[in-house]
Amino acid sequence: MKKQLIQLEINDLIYEVPVNPRDLLVDVLRKKVGLTGTKKGCGQGDCGACTVLIDGAPVLSCITLAVACQGKKITTIEGLADAQGNLHPIQQSFMDHGAVQCGFCTPGMVLTAKALLDRDPSPTETEIKRSIAGNICRCTGYKKIVEAIAAAGATSKVEVQ
Amino acid sequence: MFLDHFEYYAPATAAEAFALAGRLGEGARVLAGGTDLLLMMKDKLIKPCYLVDINGVKEFQGINYEAGKGAVIGAAVRISEIEHSPLIRDKYYALWQAAGELGSVQVRSMATIGGNSCHASPAAETPPPLAALGATVVIAGAAGKRELSLEDFILGNRQTALKEGELLTGFILPEPAPRSASRYAYIGLRDAMEIDAVNMAVNLVLDEDRLTVKNLKLVMGSVAPRPLISAAVPKLLTGRKFEPMLLEQVAAAAAGEAKPISDIRASAEYRREMVAVLARRLLQEAFDAAREV
Repeated sequence: MKKQLIQLEINDLIYEVPVNPRDLLVDVLRKKVGLTGTKKGCGQGDCGACTVLIDGAPVLSCITLAVACQGKKITTIEGLADAQGNLHPIQQSFMDHGAVQCGFCTPGMVLTAKALLDRDPSPTETEIKRSIAGNICRCTGYKKIVEAIAAAGATSKVEVQ
Repeated sequence: MFLDHFEYYAPATAAEAFALAGRLGEGARVLAGGTDLLLMMKDKLIKPCYLVDINGVKEFQGINYEAGKGAVIGAAVRISEIEHSPLIRDKYYALWQAAGELGSVQVRSMATIGGNSCHASPAAETPPPLAALGATVVIAGAAGKRELSLEDFILGNRQTALKEGELLTGFILPEPAPRSASRYAYIGLRDAMEIDAVNMAVNLVLDEDRLTVKNLKLVMGSVAPRPLISAAVPKLLTGRKFEPMLLEQVAAAAAGEAKPISDIRASAEYRREMVAVLARRLLQEAFDAAREV
């Protein structure tokens, strides 16, 4: 099967990558673009480790075709820090709250949290829990993750004011 | 967990999509959200030669409401768009509830309302409320257009009335009747990423006295190969004043109609019991809500 050259906009940069229609976004990000921050967990859309943002919405890159992402804005965990390397407030909050154990779920958690806080900067605890219900943390460190997201929401709200 | 080879098409218009569906024939599958389709392909349950990605087709997008007439929901509308639609919440509450309970945030951002009915899983969230609300599906192809009620569209476990070359393009929801309310609930092992053991939707219309049941539709999910429309419950309640005392009898009638199986998610006995619980709960909730409309 012949590969085709497609353009993907990832973290505000345009990449030209040769893909097969069957190539999944997670594999293209990791193997062809070299952005290994996106993790591949279950490979069947259950665990949320592969979460990336497409046009701001959290999607599962292990069940997304790369070829279907042309013309869309893809954000991975590598795209969150600013140009000077300062961490995004959610990333900083995860560190401050010790919300990272093995770290495998963290990129997906942070991106899901970003989608939530972009929509609603001051979610309730229940809303945070509902929002990350599709991100499985095998270390079961949920309490600190929920606290980190709540604190990040409060911070970004202060910044807006 | 790799996908087999296929050819990928991304039509920009409905006409292109119909032409492709007609030309490619039975080797083609429609890619909407992909949350069911790509998993079935990874598991080698299906091996399509062609995927027709309909996400770029404008005609299959959007929720359009016209007062007095109702709403048209495009087949490729995301579940998250329904979940966050004030209009759906206001007019079609049971559908709004079901959308919010489907999968996870990620799955809701990807999955579509059309895909949920076309996949025709007996445990799907949105077909019961769509059926309870009187939804019609719009089917079209190169040969023309036809409409079917949702209950005539879903024929069985993963079986629909779609013929080769046809696509589901959207749903028509009628304007809710005055003094009506709809409610949805499910029973499952977890809050998210579960497959419903039982689900149910109720749409209840009251008479002008706001006590007598004028019209009623109760639809059960996950207790039959396809959404099960209750015949017994409307027979017991229509034309009668709603009283909590009636609920025991009505719930037992609904449970009697269910045809559940035992599987890894629940036993048939438990499912039948839960049908009674949900029927009681939802009829009371819908009645209370309809009185306030």
